[in-house]
Amino acid sequence: MNLKCQVRGRVFQFRDLRELMAKANEVKSGDQLAGIAAEDAAERIAAKMVLSELTLSDIREHPLLPPEQDEISRLIEEGVDEEVYGEIRNWSVAGLREKLLESSCDAAEFSRIGRGLTSEMIAAAAKVMSNLDLIQAGGKAEVITRCNTSIGQRGVLAGRAQPNHPSDDLAGIRASLYEALSYGIGDAVIGINPVIDTADSVKNVLSLTKEVMERWDIPTQNCVLAHITTQIRAIHQGAPADLIFQSLAGTEAGNKAFGIDAALLDEADALARSQKGRTGPNYWYFETGQGSELSSESHYGIDQVTLESRCYGLARRYNPFMVNTVVGFIGPEYLYDSKQVIRAGLEDHFMGKLHGLPMGVDVCYTNHMQADQNDMDNLAVLLAAAGVNFIIGVPMADDCMLNYQSTSYHDIATVRETLGLRPAPEFERWLERMELMQDGKLTKRAGNPALFVY
Amino acid sequence: MTTAASEEWITSLGIDLGTSTTKLIVSRLQIKRTANAFSMPKAAIAKRTLVYCSGIYTTPLLGDNELDYPAIADILEREYRLAGISFDEVKSGAVIITGETANKRNAAKVLHQLAERAGDFVVATAGADLEGVLAGKGSGAEARSLEIKGTVLSVDIGGGTANAAFFRQGACIATITFRIGGRLIMLDNEGTITAVAGSFLPWLKANGWDLHSGSRLKLEDYREITDRMAESLLSCLAGRGSGESDALLLVGERPAVLPAADELMLSGGVAALTEEAEPTRLEEAARFGDIGPLLAGSVMRAAAAGGFRQVAARQTVRATVIGAGMHSTEIAGATVHIPPGVLPLRNVPVVKAELPPAVMDDEGRLNEAVVQAMASAKALHSAEEQAPFALFLDGPGHCTYAGLQRLADSISRGWSAHFPQQAVAVVVCRTDMAKALGQALQRRVAERVRVVCIDQVGAEHGDYIDLGEPVGGTLVPVVVKTLAFSRPPGG
Amino acid sequence: MEAFSDEAAKLTAELAGSTPARIGVGRCGTRPLTRTALQLRMDHAAAVDSVYGVVAPELLKEMGLFTVETLSGSKERYLRRPDLGRRLTDEGAALIREKCIMKPQVQVVVSDGLSAAATCANIRDVYPALLDSLAAYGLQTGTPFFVKNGRVACMDHIGEILQPDVLVMLIGERPGLVTAQSMSAYMGYRPRFGTLESDRNVISNIHARGTQPVEAGAHIGTMLAAMLEQKRSGTSLVL
Repeated sequence: MNLKCQVRGRVFQFRDLRELMAKANEVKSGDQLAGIAAEDAAERIAAKMVLSELTLSDIREHPLLPPEQDEISRLIEEGVDEEVYGEIRNWSVAGLREKLLESSCDAAEFSRIGRGLTSEMIAAAAKVMSNLDLIQAGGKAEVITRCNTSIGQRGVLAGRAQPNHPSDDLAGIRASLYEALSYGIGDAVIGINPVIDTADSVKNVLSLTKEVMERWDIPTQNCVLAHITTQIRAIHQGAPADLIFQSLAGTEAGNKAFGIDAALLDEADALARSQKGRTGPNYWYFETGQGSELSSESHYGIDQVTLESRCYGLARRYNPFMVNTVVGFIGPEYLYDSKQVIRAGLEDHFMGKLHGLPMGVDVCYTNHMQADQNDMDNLAVLLAAAGVNFIIGVPMADDCMLNYQSTSYHDIATVRETLGLRPAPEFERWLERMELMQDGKLTKRAGNPALFVY
Repeated sequence: MTTAASEEWITSLGIDLGTSTTKLIVSRLQIKRTANAFSMPKAAIAKRTLVYCSGIYTTPLLGDNELDYPAIADILEREYRLAGISFDEVKSGAVIITGETANKRNAAKVLHQLAERAGDFVVATAGADLEGVLAGKGSGAEARSLEIKGTVLSVDIGGGTANAAFFRQGACIATITFRIGGRLIMLDNEGTITAVAGSFLPWLKANGWDLHSGSRLKLEDYREITDRMAESLLSCLAGRGSGESDALLLVGERPAVLPAADELMLSGGVAALTEEAEPTRLEEAARFGDIGPLLAGSVMRAAAAGGFRQVAARQTVRATVIGAGMHSTEIAGATVHIPPGVLPLRNVPVVKAELPPAVMDDEGRLNEAVVQAMASAKALHSAEEQAPFALFLDGPGHCTYAGLQRLADSISRGWSAHFPQQAVAVVVCRTDMAKALGQALQRRVAERVRVVCIDQVGAEHGDYIDLGEPVGGTLVPVVVKTLAFSRPPGG
Repeated sequence: MEAFSDEAAKLTAELAGSTPARIGVGRCGTRPLTRTALQLRMDHAAAVDSVYGVVAPELLKEMGLFTVETLSGSKERYLRRPDLGRRLTDEGAALIREKCIMKPQVQVVVSDGLSAAATCANIRDVYPALLDSLAAYGLQTGTPFFVKNGRVACMDHIGEILQPDVLVMLIGERPGLVTAQSMSAYMGYRPRFGTLESDRNVISNIHARGTQPVEAGAHIGTMLAAMLEQKRSGTSLVL
C-alpha cells in the first residue's frame, strides 16, 4: 500500500491509512481539534491523491479499528456482500468515484456497488469527490422505505414535523403539529424530542400524536426521540410508537457513551418487529452527526467523516425507515462555519445513500457557529437537488426546546414548489382530501393551524 | 436528562358539612421535590390518591338553627376508626361548611373546633366561591378543562345552594352561587310542605308562590317550581337574560360578565339523582322528604333545552368533600426562608401590596404601597397583639437586586414603625424570590423578628392563609382560603 | 398573505399561546411574512452578538473584579479549541496567586463564556445576592475575579492554584433565540484537575424571564453551604 507521493518537488509521506484518511478530508474544525487534519492545503490535496490510488482491498486489509477490538467494525465486515466485493476489490478509490459518476451507473448499479463496500471505502470515495460530485452521485440512489406509509420515491421530498416544546406541554406540541400539517409537513414522521425522559411522559406524547393521526386519518408515522430504554418501557406499557429512535456513533465506545450496544439494538429491533398495526418492514429512526465520537473521546484518532460513515455501516444492519444526520447541531469545534456544514451535509447524504440508507438531513446550526439562515436555505436546496429523502420542519426554523435553528415548515414547502418535488404519495393524497394541496401546490386553506382544532 | 426527586406522602382529610349531608374522605398526597441537574429545585404535589370515602350522614342539628357538635365529633371518631387512621397522622386537608349550614348560629365555632380536632393542619374553610371551586376540582371539571380547548362549567347542586365555577386550562376564571338546592322545600308523601328555607321565600313570593309549612301542593305544582328554579339557574349561567326576581337567587355578587361555557359538568347530591328516572308520583318525588328528585329532573331538561354539552362528572355527590380533602392544599416554591420552629401558622390574615414593575422602580410609590398594606394590617389587630399577618406581594415578575434592597428596606421600616412588638413576620410572594427577600429582611431585623418568606403562591386581600409544617425541611404546604366569617376565632 | 376567518384567527392565537414556538405566523406564497422573517433574523443577530460581545471594563470595576485570560487568546480560537478555554495563561495564574486570598472557603469566579451579554445582564443581580446569601450562612469568600474566554472546566485549574473548599463560576450560556442573556452557575467541592463533570452542580437558565437571578444567587449560597457541610458536590450532594 503506497502512502507517499511527490508533487511539485515536495514529498508527502503519510504514516498510515488512518492519517491519510484524516488528511484527505476537506477542512473540518473537528479534525483540527483532534490534531489529525492536514497541515496545509497542499498536504490535503496530496492526501486525496494518494488515497485515490489505493485499492478497495488495501482499505479493507488495513482496518482503522480492527474488528477484534470493536463491535461496529465487526458488524460492518459482516454487512459486506462478498460476491460484489470480489468483483470490485481491485478498483482504486478513483475508479470507484468514476464508476459511480458514469452515466451508465443507474440506481440499481449504484446500490449494488454500495453493498460490496465497507464504510471506510465509502468514506474514502467521499473524500475524493467535490460537492457537485456528491450531489450527482447521491442523487442516483432511490431508497424507498415503508412503515405505515412509504417515503423515498424519486421526486418526493418528505418532511419530519418536529413540534417540540420546552416542557413537553401536550397542548403546545399539538398546536405546533397543527401548524406543520397545515403546511403539508409531517409525511416522513411526526417526531418529538422530549425534555422529560420517563416512560409515562413518552407514552403521553406518543398517544397524543397517535390521537391526532387517527382523528384526521393522517397517513404517516409517529416517534418520540427518548432514550431507547425509555421507549422500550413506554411500548411495554402500551404506548403507540410506530418508529423506534436511537442516536448512533461509529465506534463501540461511542455507542457505549450513548448507553447502547448491538445487543440492545437487537432487542429493540425484535420488539419493534413484534408490534402490530404497521405494514413495515422498516421500523427504525436513526440519528447521526459528524463529531460525536470526538466529543465523547471515543474516536481513536479516526477522522469524523470516516466515523460518520461507520455509523451508516451500523445502521444498515437494521433496515431503518429513516436516517437523519443532524449536521450542524454539534457546534463550531467540529464544524466551524457554513462552508463546513454544507460540505458535511452533502458527504453524509452521499455516504448514507451508498450504504443503501434512507437518508435525510437536519440542515441546522447553532448560534455560536459562523452560519445563518441563508446558509440553511442554500444547503436545503443542494440536498433536495441531491434527492435527499427528507429534511426537518420546525416552526420558523427555530426549535424552542433544543435551542438551535433548522429548516422551517415554510422552507420545506418552498423547496418542494421551487424544485417541483412532492410530499410522499399517500400523504399528498391526504393533503388533497383535506383541500390543502392541489397539483403539488399549497391551496388557500394551507398555513391555517386552526383547521385541525377539534 | 436525569431528574433527582425526593418525595413524601402525606395524609389529607376532607370534611363537608353540607345543608343536608355530612361526609368525609381520606386522601394521600405525594409531595415531590424535583431537582434536575440543571435547574433550581421545584416543588409540587405530584399525585393525589383517594383512599377512603365515608358513608353519607345527615348533618346533625340541634333544632333548626344550631349544629350538633358532639354528634359531628362522634361521626369523625367513628370514621377515623373505619378508615384506620389516627388524628396525628393527618397532616393536611380542609373542613368546609357549605350551603345553608354556613348560616347556622354556631357554624363558625363548630367549623374551627372540628378543624382543630381533625388533625394537624386541617383548615377551616367556608364561602360560596371557594365551595364552587373545590367542587369543580373534586368533580373533575378542572382536570377536564385541561383536556379541551374551551371552558368547562362546573355546577354543584346540593341541598341549599348551587355553586358554579368556570374552568379554563386548569384555572378557575369565575364563580357564581345560587340559592338553589334540593332541600329548600321539604315535603311529605301527601305533598304537604313541612318546611321552606327562609332565605328562599323572597324568590318564591316574587314568582307568585306564597308557600309555608302546611301548604299542600300537587306534583305538577312542585314540578312547576323546580322547572322554574332550573331554568333560572341555567339561563343565568348561559348568559341569557333572566327574570328580575332571579337576582333574589344570587348568593353574593354576580360577576359583571360570565364566560361562555363549552361544556357543563354537574355534581352534588342533586346531580347524583339525575341518573334515576324522573318521579311520576308524589310518593316517589318525596322519597327523601324534599324536592331534590324533582329538581334533578328539571335541571336535566333545562340543560338539554339550553344547548349545553354535558359531560359526566368523575365524582358527583362527593365532589366538594373530595375537593376539600384532595385539592385545597398547594405547595409553596422550593426555595424559601423559614426559621426553624415557627411553622405551622394558622389563619393568618392576608394584606396585599401590589408591586407591578413600575412601582418597584419608584421608591416613593413602593413605600406608599407597603405603608398602605401595613396600615390595613394594623386595623386587623390591636397594637399590643402579636398575632402575625401575611404581607402578600403581588408582582413584580422579575426583581433586580437593587429593587429587592429597596423592597426589603421599605418592609422592614414598616414593621418597625407599625409592629415593633411582633415576633414572627410573614411575607408571601407571587414571584420566585422568597429566599433572597427572606435573607434580605432577616438581615435588617436581625434577631428581633423571625421572618417567614415563601413564594409562588397567589392570594387576595382579605384571604386567610395557613402555612403547614415544612415537609422534608423546605416544602411548605399552604392553604389559601376565603372565610365567610369576618374573623378567625380569637382574632 | 392569506387571510383566514376571525374564528380561525382566534383559534390560531390560542394555539400560539400554548407554545413559545413561532406558529400561526402566516405566509406569502410558501414564504414567511417579512416581519416574521426579520424578527427571526433579529433574534439570531442578538445571539451572535452576545457570543462575540465583551463585558465592559466599567462593569467589572463596579463589581470589583479584576480580569485574567485563558489560553484561548481570541474568540475564534476560543470557539474552535474548548481545551484552551480550560486553562489560564501563565500571567493569569501568576496574577491570581498574587492578588487572591489562598485556600478560601468560597471562591467566586465570573466568566463571559459563550455569552458576554449574559454576564452584563445578570451579574448585578446574581452576584450581590450570592454574597448576601454567603454572609447569611457565615461563610468566608476569597477574592473574586473575571475570566475572559473561560470554559467551565477552568474551575479545575483555578482550584489547583487557589485551593478553595468550594468554587462557583457564574458563566454565560450558549445563547438561544429565546434569550441570549442566560447565565449558569457551576459549583464544585474542591475542584482540581481531573474533576468529573458529575462532580459539579449547576443551575442554568438564569435570566429575567427564566430562573430569577436574585433567587438563584440566594439558592447558590444554600448549595455551597451544603457542599461545605457534606464535603462533596455533584450527583451525591443532598439538598
